[in-house]
Amino acid sequence: MRHGKLPFVASFLALPIALYVILVIYPMLQTFYLSLTFWRGFDVDPVWVGFDNFTKLFDDERFWKALGNHAKLLVALPLITIAIALFFAFLLNVGGGSKGGVRTGVWGSKFYRVVFFLPQVLAVVIVGVLFQTVYRSDDSGLINGILTKIGLDPVYLLVNPSTALWAILFVAIWQAVGFYVVLFSAGMASIPAEIYEAAELDGASRVTLFFRVTLPLLWDTIQVAWVYLGIAAFDFFALINVLSQDNGYGGPDGATTVLGVELYNSFTKSNIGRASAIGVVLFFLTLTFAFLTLRASRRETVEY
Amino acid sequence: MATVTYAGATRHYPGTDRPAVDKLDLEIRDGEFLVLVGPSGCGKSTSLRMLAGLEDVDGGKILINDKDVTNLPPKSRDIAMVFQNYALYPHMTVYENMAFALKLRKTPKSEIDVRVKKAADMLQLGDYLNRKPKALSGGQRQRVAMGRAIVREPQVFLMDEPLSNLDAKLRVQTRSQIATLQSQLGITTVYVTHDQIEAMTMGHRVAVLLDGVLQQCDTPRALYDTPANVFVAGFIGSPAMNIKTVALTDEGGVFGQMILPLTREQVAAARAGGDGKVTVGFRPEDCQLVSATEGGMPVVVDLVEDLGSGANVYGHAAINGGDERFVVSTERRSMPNLGETVFVKPRTDHHHAFHATSGIRLA
Repeated sequence: MRHGKLPFVASFLALPIALYVILVIYPMLQTFYLSLTFWRGFDVDPVWVGFDNFTKLFDDERFWKALGNHAKLLVALPLITIAIALFFAFLLNVGGGSKGGVRTGVWGSKFYRVVFFLPQVLAVVIVGVLFQTVYRSDDSGLINGILTKIGLDPVYLLVNPSTALWAILFVAIWQAVGFYVVLFSAGMASIPAEIYEAAELDGASRVTLFFRVTLPLLWDTIQVAWVYLGIAAFDFFALINVLSQDNGYGGPDGATTVLGVELYNSFTKSNIGRASAIGVVLFFLTLTFAFLTLRASRRETVEY
Repeated sequence: MATVTYAGATRHYPGTDRPAVDKLDLEIRDGEFLVLVGPSGCGKSTSLRMLAGLEDVDGGKILINDKDVTNLPPKSRDIAMVFQNYALYPHMTVYENMAFALKLRKTPKSEIDVRVKKAADMLQLGDYLNRKPKALSGGQRQRVAMGRAIVREPQVFLMDEPLSNLDAKLRVQTRSQIATLQSQLGITTVYVTHDQIEAMTMGHRVAVLLDGVLQQCDTPRALYDTPANVFVAGFIGSPAMNIKTVALTDEGGVFGQMILPLTREQVAAARAGGDGKVTVGFRPEDCQLVSATEGGMPVVVDLVEDLGSGANVYGHAAINGGDERFVVSTERRSMPNLGETVFVKPRTDHHHAFHATSGIRLA
């Protein structure tokens, strides 16, 4: 670095680094500290308890239920969302074959693009409230209203412990797909049209085109989507909080609980130590996940 | 082994007032190397893509081996294409790139292997079969694109300016390789280029297009010797032919003191609707620099391009009141200096006459 450049660069970096340290690093360290204490928030000083919070946590059935739900979400959310988004993106961009030398999407693709993206502009809580009315158990709910009208038994999707999580997962997928359609569309747009033409001349059908050309060339984008969705699977607080039984406490009987919900609950019950311990667990889980995904899906980057 | 026929094939892009390809009639013989050439935007690439099935045909028909393929999808036409940017599959190795089409056709593995290896040998790609395209040079990528076409053993090869991304030296090398390869394989080839030297050196026949209309299709020699109109005359040959529209007399076209003689029939044809003028052209290489007394046209030298083997002399001459520019190719021994006045005399019977308004050649 040339003489005199360092103060110049440092002056630009000082403020953001200071903000980052005060607002991110310091609270994080504080969480680590609090997770090793017992504190109700009103006492003058937290009481040091060592790993007590963690041992209690690991004995807690709800904690393991929450972890189990994260595992299910971690597999299902990225897999289903990416599959649906890829399918739609392919149809919207290249699935219509070539017309007049320009590859186009299926008929009406511009309209569908808007429709798919619409849920994305809604806040998660709004979506949750919206689906409360869809899933309602009485016949004023959308699903049960229709079912009872046509003379079928109502279903209790959010009440039944075996369906509750999947019903909520559906909402998350419904909301997420639009964004990933846009993400994959952008990825597909960067694949030169000539490669598609070459594949078509080589005799590829639409299906082979998708699996042999589009998919491998989109791998980088899919990897990014996987990380995003995986991190989303570690969150899920808002939807569960709005939609689940037991007043949003991951009901019925913890069937839909996640770590975020447990954390929030400990916090509202003034058990700051337990809440911080869950925060620490979540921190390491997310970190491990991101690290593993980036490791596992590492491939050569594609250049055109 | 196939013939290709364009029968009035037309492509009209929606929203444009003029067809990109206008009633193209062209017959390509079995095993022939046909070059489509023209300035950019003349419809040559569009014509090729129509044959490939990548472009709709709005009128007329396209036949391969007398079979109407106008409405067939690209994969049913049994053609292979080399793209300008090669369009190699970036995620596949060289081997996989070449084998892709065969795999899709469920060709047995052993046969794929034989055919890919054979093509790789032909193109000196044997050492690179396990590389990805990004680890190859431009010339190697170009050869992979060729290899991908060759292994298919298609009925027709289509090549869309395959050399334009190579540097000048490699382009000349690859040019002769492609021509040799084509004659070895004997597969009908349609080749698009904007470079008239490529067209002249590679094609058995050359089709010249302008604004979507076929101007002339003939052997390179015939295009050079008897261009059908002013455009072809100016397009074929480098440096370009000197073409001037001058006053017409009974003897021929008047270039100041010099008259380029025309036959009686030519004069009569030029008179009809020609407004007393005729368009006359002569090639830079068909002139001599003569001494002042031998009846040449005085030209003041503006620029001399020394090519080593010879030189192109650019100059201007006052003719019929206007200042006209001329190019003359000379031997290195008789290279003039800047500002000098030289006397240019076209060789007898090597000039071309065209109708002044329609631009059509006067026989």
